[in-house]
Order: sequence, then structure tokens, then C-alpha cells
Amino acid sequence: MKINRRNFLKSTIFTSLYFAGFGSPLLGSNKNKKNLIVIMLRGGMDGLCAIPVKNDKRFEKLRSKINLDRTLTLTNDFDLHPALDDFKRLWDKNLAAAVHATSIPYTGRSHFDGQNLMESGGNVPYQIKTGWLGRGMKLANLKGDGLALALPMPLLIRGVPMNDNYYPVKGTIPRAEILDEIKRSYIEHNEELLNDTLEIIKKREFDAYSSRDNFDLALNAGKKLSKPNGPRVAVFEVDGFDTHAAQGATNGAHADCLHEFDNILKGLKQSMNSETFKNSLIVTLTEFGRTIKQNSSNGTEHGYASAVLMAGGLVKKAQVYSDWPGLKRKELFEGRDLNSTIDARSIYASAMSTVFDLDFKRIQKEVFWGEKLENLSDKLFS
Amino acid sequence: MKNFFRKVAFGIAPSEVIPEDPLNWALDQVNNVPKLSWNGKIYLEKELRKHYRDYIYNDRKKLRKKYKNDKVIYKIKKNQLRHETGQKFWESLEISIRHDEAINGLNPVLTKLWYFWSNFFAISEKDFLANYSTGAYHREIIRPNLNQSFDKMVYDVTTSWAMIHHLDNSESAGPKSKTARAQWRIKKKEPASINENHARELLELHTVSPTAGYTQEDVIQLAYIMTGWQRKWSRSQLETGNIWFNYDYHQPGKKIVLGKEYKSGKKSLATIIKDLVNHPNCRDFVAMRLCKFLITDQPTQSMKDPIIKAFKKSDGFLPEIHKAAIKVAFEYNDKYKKFQTPENWFVQIAKIADLKWPPSKEIMDSYTLGHRPTKQQRAPEKLLKELGHHPYRAKQPNGWSDDSVDWLSPELLIRRLVYANRSYAYKKSDNNNFEFYEKIVSKNFSNPDKILKYLNNKDSYQPYDKHTLLFNHPEFLKA
Repeated sequence: MKINRRNFLKSTIFTSLYFAGFGSPLLGSNKNKKNLIVIMLRGGMDGLCAIPVKNDKRFEKLRSKINLDRTLTLTNDFDLHPALDDFKRLWDKNLAAAVHATSIPYTGRSHFDGQNLMESGGNVPYQIKTGWLGRGMKLANLKGDGLALALPMPLLIRGVPMNDNYYPVKGTIPRAEILDEIKRSYIEHNEELLNDTLEIIKKREFDAYSSRDNFDLALNAGKKLSKPNGPRVAVFEVDGFDTHAAQGATNGAHADCLHEFDNILKGLKQSMNSETFKNSLIVTLTEFGRTIKQNSSNGTEHGYASAVLMAGGLVKKAQVYSDWPGLKRKELFEGRDLNSTIDARSIYASAMSTVFDLDFKRIQKEVFWGEKLENLSDKLFS
Repeated sequence: MKNFFRKVAFGIAPSEVIPEDPLNWALDQVNNVPKLSWNGKIYLEKELRKHYRDYIYNDRKKLRKKYKNDKVIYKIKKNQLRHETGQKFWESLEISIRHDEAINGLNPVLTKLWYFWSNFFAISEKDFLANYSTGAYHREIIRPNLNQSFDKMVYDVTTSWAMIHHLDNSESAGPKSKTARAQWRIKKKEPASINENHARELLELHTVSPTAGYTQEDVIQLAYIMTGWQRKWSRSQLETGNIWFNYDYHQPGKKIVLGKEYKSGKKSLATIIKDLVNHPNCRDFVAMRLCKFLITDQPTQSMKDPIIKAFKKSDGFLPEIHKAAIKVAFEYNDKYKKFQTPENWFVQIAKIADLKWPPSKEIMDSYTLGHRPTKQQRAPEKLLKELGHHPYRAKQPNGWSDDSVDWLSPELLIRRLVYANRSYAYKKSDNNNFEFYEKIVSKNFSNPDKILKYLNNKDSYQPYDKHTLLFNHPEFLKA
């Protein structure tokens, strides 16, 4: 790796930046409904497996059993895992990008604390009972505009009322008079949350026969997001990134998870109308990256920084945006993990600023308690 | 008051008498662990693990080689192998045993606590654990320890095959251990290193919790202590061999965890578990989790205190801890109502409405290896998956949440509506009359007249609507 750290901020791409014509200011007019889709990658996504650094002998040596034997090319400095081929297709049209060596400010290496913090956006696990996305939506007055493609309502999106979720089950919903009777009992017992939830159920169509595969969920979500009065925020979850053993390389456990993420992109791209995709931003979120070094079970341990993958028409251009910290021992966090040089919350605050048309400083203040974050909107989004 | 019977157990069945002294009724149930009520076949964990072995061995060593050029036949053969090893059946049998114990067992209060500890020491969805092993682990590791000390329970869990497989401890090798110098490691370029997963969860989830303020170095040192505890690997057993302590993998030398020094060797695991269990943060953590499970999402200090005290005084004797928790639950019974998680909720329906649930011993015992299980035989597993609350398939090692908000979303509420309605299909035909519903309401609700009025508010309500209405009433959703 011969890259100079400070000059690395703008990594070039091979295809022309003007190729697709997306992201021009003309298309970003205010009357368009803009959408934010967050895909949570649970278990600790290995940013260096998704987007490995090129020509780094030390890295290759430390990962001798799990190096990728085949990669897709992104930039002069970074490759892409071959399981991410739909991401690559979008990248080639300037519709996908990544931020590397980034993390939420959490170094404790616990999944549960880490996942709690990646969703709440806070610093102390379990202290904050709402999610940064929910608070951002509240600030933007987006009540009833959230859709989770999961059975429980993720913490990430809590903090704003009337969110919906979609995760179909076979069966039939009771008829209106029964629902009304139940509703009266909720009201009588001051069960507000139950009552709100029942209201959502009463309003929506009941779809009992679809699959719950992430690709099918993405197809469904893309259709809903494309409706003028449809949701403006969607949240997906991909499990299984915690590959302590048999992580695999080109194929294997981590590759399968990356492919599942890639399938969500594919499903969204396929089902959204072009106007909607143009006005959408998809970002990933994970609790931490993984150790540089493989362990003896050909897996990796909990680490620190990872990468954030982004896609959609609101991505500024195909780039790997990074302030690369290097992989020499002294450059690593605690001598073992990729260091984080960008607070991932800066990306999310900037994303919300772009999609919700909110002043970055307001988000910083009201969603992230005025913590030190950098406005990356101009660099990453359009 | 009647919600107490669902708060600490699963409600009162139509055939049962309402206990006159609810507190003592509950306290009397936690001293002994009775024989399971399920009178069908029950298999040993080891027998089931042998099926696990047969599946992975024959798949990896035979089918994959034999049909490497024919994906279609491979798939067919692999499906056959699944059925030959009962892969689609054991989990439903285990759930049947689990639910039967709640519904027909002698000590439903103890069973509720069994559910609690099974989730506290959760085995989450990994490999084929849910298919072959997790139910048996709950039966053979968690349940017999319900009247033992907490440190014994932690030790048995930590050295169980299921937990070691779940949290990768077999993969952990001391960098200065004998195996680190092995020729094959040098040849294969596979230096010995630790796997921190199990050590971290032993601290975080099973004992002191992160509030104890341990460091990364503490995790590493504990992982060193734990090196050597692994499955006995062999060509024929693969990863299903019994747990043993392999000195060759053990990191030699002293280790320091949370400021205390531990000797090299096998015995240090028991020593450190004892220390972790006696740590004040462990007592606080256990008390908090119990209060969360039984009483409220936000336990107060005064709720936790009696449990912490009982823990300390009894040196972690679980019956005493349980009694303290039950007393606290009783004291706060009217003031705090806890939203019931989906599995608890469904088991309560099955019990108080006398459903044909779980599937009978005849149905389950008629299963024969090599055959595809029937729809009825797979019903328990499918039901819990659909409800989104399958005790063997939590997403992560911290198990299922006890926070109410985690169980409230449109889709989760839809499940309650759909499955309350569907529970009607499991009713016994004798019970399909007004008197029956009058009876179950009067046994389980403090204000039966009001609830009955709600059930019969309109003439247009159908018999099956009773289930939807009753089991979605806020007084039933909470306890």
C-alpha cells in the first residue's frame, strides 16, 4: 500500500464520472420525495473483506487463509468482493460508493453493546431508547413514514410514531368489527402504543402470501417507496457477519452475507421506478469491523473500523472515500484492528441532511447531542 | 390478583382449582425439579448429537464426494439424509416437551424460570444446533440446575457441548501452548491463536455484564484460562465429540482477570466462575434480568435489592434467588403488568383454554426416522417461527429481549391477531360452549363480568371471535 494518508481522500474511479448523468443538481428538486434506506449488517461486517486494500503485503500475509482469489476492481487502491456484483454494476454507473476506515465511536467489541450503539447513535450502551434514524425522522416531521423489513421494530427507527413493518405471515386478519372491539379495550386501558399499532394494521393492505427472503422484501419495499404517499425510510437487516470460524474467502460465510446485502440492492433497483431510485440513498450500518489477522479457525475476531457501503441516485459519485490510516502495526487500533478515521455518524447525519432536507447543524445538535461530527454531504451525496 | 398466576406461571387451566394462597403456591414450586410431565419418548442429548454427527459426517464425507458432479441428485440425497437423522423433527419434539411441562407439569412456576434461564444462557441459531441439540441442552443442562447453585449452572453451561460449539471455544488455542509448536501448524501456516467469543460472553452475558468494567485484556486473559476446553475432535466424530480439557491447547502460565491471578490448568475455570459469580455486578445483573422478565422493563433498585440479598446470603443458591424474585413479583403484582412475550402468551392460551396443544405423545411417538415428519409433528417449530419467538432460534447469543417495545410492531401484533384466531382450531369440541368461556374467564381475570361482556358485546360475534378478542385484550397481553 503506497498511498499517502492525507492525499487519499478522493480516490479515483476507472469509469467516467459523467457517465450516468445522475446526481446533477437539476434532478434534486425539492418537490421530489426523497428516500433513505438503511441496511443493518449485524455481527460485524468485515470492511476489509468487502473492500480489500490492494498491494498490501502485510495484509495479505495476515490473511493467508482467507484472502480473496478473485476480486472486482474499484479503484487504484481498493478492490471489491465478487459477491457484490450488483453493487459493482451501480458503481459503474456512478450510483454506488463507499466510505472506508469508518466506525461508530465504539471500541468495546461487544455485539450487543455495539449494535445498540449503532442504532441509538449514543455513547453508552442501552442508555438511549430511540434510534438516530427515528430522531432524524422526528426532526423532519416524518410521522408514519418509516418501514422496517423485519418482525420486531428495530431500535434504529424508534423515536417517531406510527412506523410500519413488513414481514408477511400466512393467515387472515380479523374483520373490522372485531378490530374495533379490541381497539376499544386498548383505549379503555390507555394502551397508546398498542392502539397506534392497531391503527396502522387497519389502514394497510394485508399480504399473506409473500416470502420473507430479503430479496423479496426488497422488491416489496421498492414498490412501496415508489408510491407518492409511500414510506420515505426503510430499514433492512442482514444477519450472520460474525464469522469467527470458516469465514471463507471468495465463497463462504462472509461472502454469503455480502451477497444477501447485494440482493437487497438488486431488489430495490428492480422494483423502484427510476425516479424513486434517483431520489434514494441506501447506506449500510454495522457495529464494528473485524481483526486484520485471521485466527486459527480461518475466521476473524471482533475489531474496530469497517466500511459503509452506499448506493442510489443521491450518491455523488463512485468513490472510496477514506482517510486511510494504514495497516502497519503501529497504525492499527490497539495493534490489531483497522483504525477509524471517520465517525460513521458523520455519514449518517449527512445522509439525513441530504435526504430529509434538514440543516446538518440541526441534526448534529438535535439527533446527536451536538457531538463533533463532520458535514460530509457535499463530498458524498448530491 | 389473578394475573399473578400468569406472571410467574402460565395461568389456571379449566380443570385446576384457584390456589388460595398464591404466594406460597408459587414458592413451594421451586425447591425440587420433578420428572418431566411428557410421557412420550425423550431422547438423551448424546443420542441426538449422534444424529447430528451422522448428518454432517455423511454429508461431508460421503455425499459431497459421491455426487460432486450432480447437484440435483446431491440435493435429493441430502434431503433423504436430513430425514434419516430426524433433522426436521427433534426440535418440534423438544418444544412439545417444553410446552407440555408448562401446561401439564406439576411446577409451572419452575417451568417459567426454566424458560428464563434457557434464554439467559441462550444458544442462538447456529449450524444445526436448533435441529438437534438446543432443546436437549435446555433439558439436560439448564433444568437439572434449577435447584442448584448459580455457579454450578454457569460451569455446566460453560462446559456443555452445545455452548462450546455455539461460542467457538474449541477453536481457541493458546499461542504458547503445546499445539502452537506443532509441526502441522508450521507446515500449514496456521499459528495458534485464541478465539475470544466464549470468554467475552461468559463475562458479558453469563456473569458480571459490561457494567463490571472489564477490559479487552481481561477478555484475553479469560480466553487463555478457557483454552483447552473443547470438543474431542476425531475423523469419525468431527465436531460432535464430547467436551474434554485438552492440555495441548491450554495457554501455560498465570493469568490475571479483573485483578486476580489464576493458575495454569484445568481447574482454573471453576475457580474463576466462582469468582465471577460472587462479583457484585453479577448479582445485580441476575436480579435485573429476573425483574425484567417477571415484572417490568425498568426494574427499580428496591425491586432488585431483595434478590441481590438472597443471592448473597445463600451463596447463589437458585431456589433462594427464585423465591426472592417471586416475592418481589408478588409485592408489585398490582402495580406493574408485564407485556408477555409471544411464546409465553401462546402457552398461556393453550393452558387456560385447554387446547389440544402441544401435539400428543401418540402423534410425536409415531414419527419414524427416515420419514418426512407430518404437518402435525412439525407444528410446534413452525408456530414459534411464525410468532417470531422460537427459543432455540434467537438471532444472537444474548437471546430474546425482555423489553416490551421489542415485541410491539404491526407485524408482531398481526401475529397475535392471526394466532389467537387460529388457536380456536385447537379447541376441544367439548369446550365449545358459553359455560366453558365463563369458566376460563372467571379463573384467570379479576373482573370476569366485564371481560365476558366484552366477549359477547355483539350478536354478530362468532364463536371463534372469542379467542381473537380474549387473547388480544390488554389484560391478557400483560400479566
